[in-house]
Amino acid sequence: MTTLEAARGAGTFDIPDLPDRARMYRECGARLRDSMRDKGVDALVLLGNGNVVYASGVSWPLLDAGLSHVERPVAIVLAEDPHPHVFMPLREGSATVASESEVPADHVHPPLYLEFDEGVERFAAVLAGLLPSGATVAVDELTGAMRRAGTRLFPSGPPSDAAAVVGPAKLVKTPDQIACIRHACRITEQAVTDVQASLAPGVRQVDLSAQFVRRAFELGATANMLEAIWQVMPTSRATGTWTTTGDLALPLLTTERELAHGDVLWTDVSITYTGYCSDFGRTWVVGDEVSDRQQAQFEKWRSILDAVLSVTRAGATCGDLARAAIAANGGSKPWLPHFYLGHGIGTNAAEMPMIGTDLGQEFDDNFVFPAGMVLVLEPVVWEDGTGGYRSEEIVIITDDGYQSITDYPYAPYGRSVR
Amino acid sequence: MALEILPDARALRSGRRERALAQMEAHDIDILVLGRQANVRYVTGAPQLWVAGTRPFGPICEVIRSTGEIHLNSTWDEGIPDEIAHDHLYGLAWNPMTLIEVLKKMPGAATVRRVGTDSLTPTFAQLLPMAFPNAELVDAEPALRAARRIKTPDEVAVLLGALGIAGQALEVARAELAVGVTEQTLTGAMLEAMAAGGVTTPATQDGAWVTPRDHPWRRRVGDGRVAEGDLVAFAAGALADGYVGEVGRTWPVGDAPGADPLFRRANELWERLVSACRPGAPGADLLAAYESAGEPLPSTPVAHGLGLGFDPPVISADLPVTSAEERLEPGMVLAVTGYVWQEGVGAVFRRDAVLITDAGSEVLTSGPAVSQAAVGASSVVTNA
Repeated sequence: MTTLEAARGAGTFDIPDLPDRARMYRECGARLRDSMRDKGVDALVLLGNGNVVYASGVSWPLLDAGLSHVERPVAIVLAEDPHPHVFMPLREGSATVASESEVPADHVHPPLYLEFDEGVERFAAVLAGLLPSGATVAVDELTGAMRRAGTRLFPSGPPSDAAAVVGPAKLVKTPDQIACIRHACRITEQAVTDVQASLAPGVRQVDLSAQFVRRAFELGATANMLEAIWQVMPTSRATGTWTTTGDLALPLLTTERELAHGDVLWTDVSITYTGYCSDFGRTWVVGDEVSDRQQAQFEKWRSILDAVLSVTRAGATCGDLARAAIAANGGSKPWLPHFYLGHGIGTNAAEMPMIGTDLGQEFDDNFVFPAGMVLVLEPVVWEDGTGGYRSEEIVIITDDGYQSITDYPYAPYGRSVR
Repeated sequence: MALEILPDARALRSGRRERALAQMEAHDIDILVLGRQANVRYVTGAPQLWVAGTRPFGPICEVIRSTGEIHLNSTWDEGIPDEIAHDHLYGLAWNPMTLIEVLKKMPGAATVRRVGTDSLTPTFAQLLPMAFPNAELVDAEPALRAARRIKTPDEVAVLLGALGIAGQALEVARAELAVGVTEQTLTGAMLEAMAAGGVTTPATQDGAWVTPRDHPWRRRVGDGRVAEGDLVAFAAGALADGYVGEVGRTWPVGDAPGADPLFRRANELWERLVSACRPGAPGADLLAAYESAGEPLPSTPVAHGLGLGFDPPVISADLPVTSAEERLEPGMVLAVTGYVWQEGVGAVFRRDAVLITDAGSEVLTSGPAVSQAAVGASSVVTNA
C-alpha cells in the first residue's frame, strides 16, 4: 500500500484527461447565474483573482499580493447575460486573455483602476451603462475609492457580499474543473518526484524550491500559488517555535538552511493550471531512514485518514468527518488548532468548507457535502521525538463515497504496510 | 534571505513606522486596521507567508496611533520584531467574529473616532462597527500611499537587493535562450535562479514571451516555442525582503531582420523617458515622452512606484488625470517601462528602476543586465 485506495463506493466521476475549457466556461457560468437568481442578485462585481478566474474562465500568472490589487482583472457578471464583462490589465502575462479566453471580444475591455478615483469614475459610467435601474448588486471587495464614490457607483443602495453568491456556486465542481485540479496535481506530483529524489544532507531548503518551480513551469504550470514549504520539524513541541496556541507552528518559511541527515520535513506546495490549484503535502525524512516510532506515526495517520474516508460521501457533514477523525485519534483533534482537518479547493488553494475550525460545531454539522465537491484532507499526528506525520489527500465527493485525486507515494514511510 | 527568518532591520522598520504614524496624524486616523500584505509589512517589518494574487480583506494588523503599538495576526513569533510582544499576536482565524472579538479588546476600541482600513468586504464593512462602535470607517490608503511613496535610504538599499536578484535571474534565463526553447522553460529557469539565489517569492511570474509580430501586444497562441528571428522579452520580478524588484529586457534570437532600427527606437524612447524622471515634473511627462518619440502608448502603465508592491504613482494612459496630477519627488523609485513595436518584427520591451533624486534621477538597475542587453542588441546589428 503506497498510495491511497483510489475510490470507495460504486459511483465514480468521469473526468476528462484535459479540461474542455469552452464547456467549463458555459457550465460554471450557468451555475453562477443560478446562484445569482437564488440570492436575488442582478449583477456581480468581482475583484478577487480567484472569483474572476471562476466567473470568466480566464487565467494568468498571478502577481504578488502587493502588485495584484492595483493591476487586476475585474469581472462584471449579469444574471441575464451568459458572458461576463472582463476588464483586463494588459500587464505582460494577461495579454494572452484576449486571444485565448472564451469571453467574446465585445466583452473584453481595458483595465479599471479601482484604487483610484479616476478609475472609479470610469467604472461608475461602465456600471450605469450595463445595469438596469434598481439592479441589485453584490461585490467581493470595496476599495477606498469605491467607498468614496458611494451612491454614484451603486445608486440602488450598498451592495451585498458577493461571497454569498460565488461561494455556493463554486462548491460543486464540473468534470472539467476537476480535470483542471487533477492536472495541476499531476504537474505538481511530477515536479515533486524530482525534488524528493534530490533530497540529501547539505541540500538547502531554497534548492528544493528552485528545483520545484522550474519543473512545475516546464510541465505547464500557469502560476506558483504558495511559497513552497519544506519545514524542518522540531524534536518536541516545547523546543519548537512559540505559538499563540502552544501547539506546533506551521507553515514556517523556507530559508537557505542546509538540511541534515534525519531531518523530518513537512512539505506543502501549490501551483495552478488554467487557474485551478493543486495542493500537495507529504512528510519526508532526509536520508530516508525511518525509525519504528516514526513508522508508527505514519500508521496512526493512515488509520485516521481511513476512518475519515469511511464516512466521506455525499450527504455527510463536516461534523461527521471531524468526529471520525477525533475518534480514530483517541478523543483529541488530529489537526493543528489554527488550521483544519480539511478544506475545499478550486480557483483558491483553500475554499469552503473548512472542517473543524473556529467557525464552530454548528457550522460543521450544518455543512452537508454535495456530490462533486472536492476536499483536501490533511490530518496531523504528533509525538515528541518523531517529527510527527502530516500528508494531504485530495478526494472528490461521490454519491456513495469518494474518488481520490492525489497519486503520490508515502515513501520513505509506509514500507512495512506494503 | 539567510539561515533563519528575521524581521526587517530595526532602522528600516522604525523609519517606515515614523512615516506611517505621521500620516495617521495628518489624516486624523486613530487606529489602522490593515489587510494588505504590503501595508502590513510596511508597518510591522515582519515577513509573512507568500501566497500569489489578491486575498479578501481581513484585519491582519492594527496600529494604535496614540501609543504606536502594533497588533498582528500571527500564530507564531518567528520573524516577529521584539517590539511586537507575544500578547500583541493573535492567531489565524476562519470565523470573522473571532477577529471582531480580538478587535474589541484593542485599546480605545470603544471610544476611537476614526478607524482607517486599506480595503473592505461588505461583510467586514458591517462587522467592524461592532468592534469600533463610535468610529467612522475611513479609507486609509491615501495615508499609506503618502507614507510609502517616498523611500527612506534604508528602503532604497533593500530595493537594490531585490533589483539585483531580479537582474541576475533574468541573465540566467537569457543564457538558455535558443531556438526551440519554450517560454515556459525560460520562465522556469528565471524563477529557479531567483529561488536558488535565496528569493523563493516572485513578484511577477510571466517571465519570458515571444513578442508578437502581428499585433502590438496580443500574445501569440501556440506552444510557446522560440524561433529564429524572434524578439523575446524577459520580465523578472522578485519580492526580496518584502520589496519588489522588476527588470525587463528583450533579446533577438539569431538573425532578426528589422530588429536593429527597432532597438534604436527603443533606445531613443528610453532616453526621453529617463529625462522625464526629474523632481517636480508631472507624472504625465512620462506619457508625453512616448508622444514626443512618436511611439504609441503601451497597454501597460508606463511607470509605477516600486516598494513593498505597487506604490504611487501609477502612470498609465488609462489614468490621464491622475498621471497629470502626480508630481515626481526625490525618494520615489519608479519602474519605468519602454515598449516599442513594429509590425512583422515584434516588440522591444525594457523595464528599469529609476530613483528620483534632488538633481534628477538615477537608474538603479545596473551591472550585467544593462550592459549585456546592449551587447545583445548590438551583436545583432553587427551580424545583420
